Amino acid sequence: MRVASYLLGRSVRGVLTLLLMIAVGFTLYFAVERQPPVADYYPVVQHGAPPTRQQTDLVRHLFYLDRSKIGLYLTYLGHLAEGDLGHSSTITLDAAQNGHIVDAGPVAPYQALRVTLSILIGGAVLVLLLALPLGAISGTRIGSWTDRAISFGALVLVCTHPMMLGLILKSAGGKVSWLPTSGYCTLLKRPTPTATRLHLPNGTVLRAPLNYHLCGGPKEWATHLILPWLTFAFLFLALYTRMIRASVAETIHEDFVRTARAKGASQLRVISRHVLPSAGLRVLTMVGMEIGTAIGVCVYIESAFGDNGLGSLAVNTLGGGLGALNLPYVLAVIVLITLIVVVGNLIVDMLYAVLDPRVGLQRGQQRTKSLVGGVF
Amino acid sequence: MSLIAVGVIVLLALFGGATATRVFGHDGQTPFLYAANTDQKAVGPWTHVPTPKSPLFDAYGQLQTPPKGTKSTLFVLGSDGPLGRDELIRLLDGLRTSLEVGVGAMLVSLLISLPLGSLAGYFGGAIDAVVSQLTETIMAFPLLLFLLFANRYLISDFRSVGWSWVVPDGAPAEALLIGVFTAFYPTRLIRAELFALRQEEFVEAAHMVGASNWRILRRHLLPHLAPILLVWAAIAVGTNILAEVGLSFLGVGVQASIPTLGSLLSTVWGTIFNPQTYNSQVYTPWQTVFPMVAIVVTVVSLNRLSEALRRAMEPRETR
Repeated sequence: MRVASYLLGRSVRGVLTLLLMIAVGFTLYFAVERQPPVADYYPVVQHGAPPTRQQTDLVRHLFYLDRSKIGLYLTYLGHLAEGDLGHSSTITLDAAQNGHIVDAGPVAPYQALRVTLSILIGGAVLVLLLALPLGAISGTRIGSWTDRAISFGALVLVCTHPMMLGLILKSAGGKVSWLPTSGYCTLLKRPTPTATRLHLPNGTVLRAPLNYHLCGGPKEWATHLILPWLTFAFLFLALYTRMIRASVAETIHEDFVRTARAKGASQLRVISRHVLPSAGLRVLTMVGMEIGTAIGVCVYIESAFGDNGLGSLAVNTLGGGLGALNLPYVLAVIVLITLIVVVGNLIVDMLYAVLDPRVGLQRGQQRTKSLVGGVF
Repeated sequence: MSLIAVGVIVLLALFGGATATRVFGHDGQTPFLYAANTDQKAVGPWTHVPTPKSPLFDAYGQLQTPPKGTKSTLFVLGSDGPLGRDELIRLLDGLRTSLEVGVGAMLVSLLISLPLGSLAGYFGGAIDAVVSQLTETIMAFPLLLFLLFANRYLISDFRSVGWSWVVPDGAPAEALLIGVFTAFYPTRLIRAELFALRQEEFVEAAHMVGASNWRILRRHLLPHLAPILLVWAAIAVGTNILAEVGLSFLGVGVQASIPTLGSLLSTVWGTIFNPQTYNSQVYTPWQTVFPMVAIVVTVVSLNRLSEALRRAMEPRETR
C-alpha cells in the first residue's frame, strides 16, 4: 500500500513536471516571437514594400501571436491528452500574392524518438554490462595497478567530449568494412519507399531520392548502432565504474559476505550474488538522475553519426537551425524529452520499489546529479 | 602532482601565446602563404616556413618555392589549414580563452548559487521548497537545449562584448550563459551542506549571544563551505571547458575565427548547423590531435586536482 501511494506520488510529480515544462516552452516562445517575420513569407515585403495590415495579421496568426496564451495552453493540453502533438502550418501565396494558411502536416517526430530511445536504452545496457565487471574487478583490488588503470582510463574517457569520442570512434569504425558509420535502420522491418517523406518543421516536405538506402531488421539496426552505443558507454563508464567500485569495496567486508565465503561460495558467486546487488540500488538512483543528461549527450552522438534523432531535432528547433521558431515543434521537442525523463524516472522508481520495499520510508533519499551532468 | 599540472597549464595559457609570439617572431593571426603546401594542405609539425618579402607566383598563379637563403620562421606544431596560421600559438591562445570561459562561468554560477543555496539551506521552509523544485525540474531537462536557446535568442546583443585580444569578443557572454545554466549543481551542494550545518552547536551558540542571521551566515557558516566549493570549483572549470567545446561544435559559441579549444576542433570538423566532413586534402590529422590532447590533459588535470583537494580536506570533514 505504501509502495502504491509512493508510486502515485511520483507520477503526480511527473505530470506536474510535464505541465511546468510546457508552460516554460510557451513562455520562452512568446518571449522570443514578438515581431511577426512578415518578410519571410512575402517576397514583396522582402523587397522593401511596407507590410499591409492583412499580411501582418496573417503572419501573426501563423505564429500564434493573436490568441490568448492561457487558452492556447489549455487547448494544447487537451490535444496532448489525446496524443496529438498538433499540426504545423505555413503560408502559401496565390497568383495575386494573397497569402493563405495551409496545413503542413502533423507534428509526428516519432522516427526521431525511436532513434534516440534506441541509442539511450542500448547505450545504458552497454554501460551496465561494462561497468559491472570493471567496477567489481577494481573494487576487489583497491589500490592495485589494475584498479588504478581502470580508474584512470575511465577518468580520461569521461574527460573527453562525446563529439570527440564519437568522431574518433567513427574514423576507427570506418576501417572495419562491415561496420556502418552513420545512419539509422529501423528495428522491425524495412520501411516501404513511400514512408521516406520527410516533414520539415518549416512546412516543406522532402521526398527522399529513389536510391535512398532503405534498411531494417534487428541485425542492421544493431550494427548501425554499435558505434553510438560505444560512444555513450565510454562517456558514462567512469561514473558507474567508480560508484560500483566504492559500493563493492564497502560491502566486501560485511558479515554476510564472509558467511557466503564460509559456506564455500566461489569468488565469482560471492561477487555476483551477494556484493553486486547492493550496488544496484545506487546505480538505479544514478540512472534516474542521468536521463536528462543522457539526452543532452545524444545530441552530440546523433550529430557525430548522422542519425536524425530527437537531439538533432531539438537543436534545429530550439537553436534556430531552421530560421524562425515553430511553436508546435518547440513544444513537441519539450514534451517528448520531458516524457522520456519522467517515464524513465517512473520506471526507476518502480524498480526501486521492487528492489527495496522500504522505499516510502526514506523520503530524503539522496538524488544528486553527477558532475558530468553539469554540462549537458 | 595535479596541482603542478594545473599550474603549468594556467601559466601556459596566460603567458604561452605572448611568449611564443616573441620567440618565433610571428603571431597566431597572420596567415602565412607558405604555411600551406602548394596543394593547400597545411604543413605538419616542426616546419620552417619561408617568409620572403613578396611571395613568388608562377604564370599559373601557383606559389613557387622561394630561392635558397630566404629567411624562414619555425612553426612548431605546423599550421592550422589553408590559411596558414601557427597552430601552436592558436592552441595557446585557445587554451587561454577556454580557461577564461571556464573560470568566468564558475564564478558566475558561484555568484548565483551562493545566495540561492544559502537562503534555501539556512532558512528552509517555503524558500527551500521553491528552490528545490525549481532546480530539480530544470536539472531533469537537458541543460544543453536551454543553453542553445538562450544563446540564440536571449543574449545576442551581449555577444560582441570583449576586451581586445585579452578577453576575445563573445567569451564573457559564453561564460555568463554557461555559468547561469550550471548554477543548479552548486546551489544544491550549498543547500545540502547548510542543511546539515545549521543544526550544529556553534550555530546555536551564535544565536544565543545574539548574532543576526546575516552574521551567522557570513562569519560562521560560509567558511565551512570553502572546502566543498573548492573541490567543486576545480571540477566545474573542467566541465565548463567541455561545455565550451560542445557549444563550439554546435556552432553557437564564440566566433569561429577566435581560437578556443572548441573552435580549433570545429573549424576542422564543422558544426552541427554547418556540417563538413573532415577534409584530408586541406587538413592534417595534427590539427585535431593537438587540441584534443590539450582538452583531455586540461580536464583530466582539473579533475585530479579536485580529487586531491577532496582527499586533503577529508580529515577535517570527518569531525
